[in-house]
Amino acid sequence: MTVREPAPAALPPRRRPWGILVLVIVVLGVIVFLAISSIGNALVYYLTPSELLARGDAAVGDTIRLGGQVEPGSVHGEPTDLVFVLTDGTAEIPVHSTAAPTRSFQEGRGAVVEGTLGADGTFEADQVIVKHDENYVAPSSGALPSDRAFDPGSDE
Amino acid sequence: MIPTIGHAAIVVGLALTVYAAVAFVVGARGGDGRLLVSARRAVIGTFACAAIGSAAMMASLLTHDFSVRYVAENNATTTPPFISAISLWAALEGSILFWTLLATGWASLVLWWNRDRHPALMPWVGATLASVNAFFFAVMTWPGNPFVRTTPVAAEGIGPNALLQNHPFMALHPPMLYLGYTGLAVPFAFGVAALVTGRLDEAWLRIVRRWTLIPWTFLSLGIVAGAWWSYEVLGWGGYWAWDPVENAALLPWLTATAFIHSSMVAERRSSLKAWTAALVIATFVLTLVGTFLTRSGILASVHSFTESGIGPWFLAAILLALGIALSLLVWRLPQVTGGGRPSGLLSRESAFLFNNVLFLGLTFAVLFGTLLPLIAVSTSGATISVGRVWFDRVTVPIVIALLFLMGIGPALPWGQASWRTIRERFTVPLLAAAIISAGAFVLGIRDPGPLGILALAVFVGAIMIDEVVRGARSRARARGENGATATWRLTTRNRRRYGGYAVHLGILVMAVAIAVSSGLATDRTVTLAAGESATIAGYRITNERVVVEPLSNDARVIETRAELTYEGSQSGSLATAQRDYPSSATPIATPAVRTSLAEDLYVTLLAADPATGSVTLHIFVNPLVVWIWIGGAIVGLGAVFAIWPERRVRTLAVAERRAVPVPTTPEGA
Repeated sequence: MTVREPAPAALPPRRRPWGILVLVIVVLGVIVFLAISSIGNALVYYLTPSELLARGDAAVGDTIRLGGQVEPGSVHGEPTDLVFVLTDGTAEIPVHSTAAPTRSFQEGRGAVVEGTLGADGTFEADQVIVKHDENYVAPSSGALPSDRAFDPGSDE
Repeated sequence: MIPTIGHAAIVVGLALTVYAAVAFVVGARGGDGRLLVSARRAVIGTFACAAIGSAAMMASLLTHDFSVRYVAENNATTTPPFISAISLWAALEGSILFWTLLATGWASLVLWWNRDRHPALMPWVGATLASVNAFFFAVMTWPGNPFVRTTPVAAEGIGPNALLQNHPFMALHPPMLYLGYTGLAVPFAFGVAALVTGRLDEAWLRIVRRWTLIPWTFLSLGIVAGAWWSYEVLGWGGYWAWDPVENAALLPWLTATAFIHSSMVAERRSSLKAWTAALVIATFVLTLVGTFLTRSGILASVHSFTESGIGPWFLAAILLALGIALSLLVWRLPQVTGGGRPSGLLSRESAFLFNNVLFLGLTFAVLFGTLLPLIAVSTSGATISVGRVWFDRVTVPIVIALLFLMGIGPALPWGQASWRTIRERFTVPLLAAAIISAGAFVLGIRDPGPLGILALAVFVGAIMIDEVVRGARSRARARGENGATATWRLTTRNRRRYGGYAVHLGILVMAVAIAVSSGLATDRTVTLAAGESATIAGYRITNERVVVEPLSNDARVIETRAELTYEGSQSGSLATAQRDYPSSATPIATPAVRTSLAEDLYVTLLAADPATGSVTLHIFVNPLVVWIWIGGAIVGLGAVFAIWPERRVRTLAVAERRAVPVPTTPEGA
């Protein structure tokens, strides 16, 4: 509305809006609480096979993104029930994936999977991360993003 | 030759914009009108320079001039002209050039439009905008030069980003977002001008609100169009992933929205002025922060460009802008605080206050979630990502509270609401919400999330309808107009208010569509042999054949396509594909989306075996998604309705009929 009120003639004495102040603090408190309390199970750690092995049993049950190279010759099974090995050159982690991999998933290529480490040491992946960005590469030995851009056919 | 002209234009642009900034300050201090005019012309000159630079880049792209590194990296001889042209904003250097074109365009428009208005403010507005633009010209002159040449000149370029080529929508959302981003420098400039001159008054608020609403509209449309692009192109079945680049666009939108609301309180109640100035500053700084985070390569994102040397420049600019603006604010603080009248807890101003608290809370939450990976890597060295789970859990309650305020705020009176008013205005909407959600429950919607949002939407919508009907009825009674005329005149003469209602309506539609589409979506991954069928959410999908062939318009792109038929509430055939681009190591999914008002059938090809003809598909049935885009369009239309000038036209008409004295009404911004 653009109609103006008449000018305030006699203002009542200004009182502190305590009610509003308390409510504002409560609202802010709730937001901070929400932000902090949800962190625990919403953070996803991004690890290489060596880092995952270094964590040992402490990593069991956490949601983890595991990035590495698919070991050539290790892939077996159906697209939605796949077994393979991810490696970073020093450590190897067996992976069981229930998520259908994209076609970029190939032996010898980089891959990122999300899931949890089982007590038996097998990584149970329920998601194969699709990074829609050709600048992004899964960690692997000595690969540079620019190599890829210039030579798309190379298997690292 | 053409690249040389482009580069020269940038250097000249830098010189002109530095001159303009200095001339505006000197002219304002000395009251030298001719200097101010020449400064304004210099700003328009910078726009011409940026236009020449952009045209030179576009010409280089269209002629595949691979001596320019940007062209060699983002273009190929086979790239179609349309894609070549829009490659201007496909990568870092070009996008800064395009950004500068829009920023200088805004600066020229504002200075020209107000050439005879606000004589005290405009020199400082001009000085601020010219300084901001000087930064972008400097970035293009030194670390981010778009016209860097390469030798030897390659015979063939790498080609554009595959995602850019894959869908024409790429032509749509970046310009919208950039128009929003760059335009938000204008309210910042007015903020700085008001702080320098000490004119942080009601007139200033009206000017700034209008110049905020325009870029806000572009930013809103850009965000929705970006979500649409993400949905149609990326193939993961969703539209919002809390990706850093999405967050970067959302952050200034949140603070700008908070400003639009608090400025109404400031104008009406003469309070919160320092606060509104702070919001304008925060909005602009957040546009820089967003650009810094996503363009410097420090956060991985769908949109992350290659790492470059512009990061430190942006960081310096952010600190400089923040430092100067905050010092000005602190310096003026004693003059702009105070004022205001007491108001009760149940009043429109306290609704606005909570609106701002929630918007700011949302801003901090999103900023925190976006920066957490950076904080973690620098403090503990851990590489983490903050999942959608966290963002959803934190933001959804805040958004629900905001929707609730959106309903009750406009219906509460200024000052203090009496219980009688509250009973009068909220009983019917509450009953309507109860009845309709009970009906939805009986019809089988049992999920508490969608059900709650539906109830809230009905409550808020009913209040809005009631407000319009009440206003129109009292106007009809007072002036003896019929219902339709009264409604039309009521809304077109209070464009700001009723345009705002339309925006609220669009947001409501989007909220319901987002809640239902994320709460009630079905998805499944299936592997189908040739000729085999699967049924999901009422759709029977049959794998007809797999085809592998080069694209007809670009033979370098190989498409692996699954041709399917589907039967259900919609029937027909569709093809979902993966495309291998020479510039991309990973194939790009090309999802097939069949849209209806009730639901989308969305199919992404995950894997195909051309030898056996078997395919692995990710099939989604997403209800109501199209209403998100429709809601976005309503938001845009409502904003245009609110911005549309009304008084100017009338004042002109009045000026022509000078004989009739007309009581002056404050200009609605």
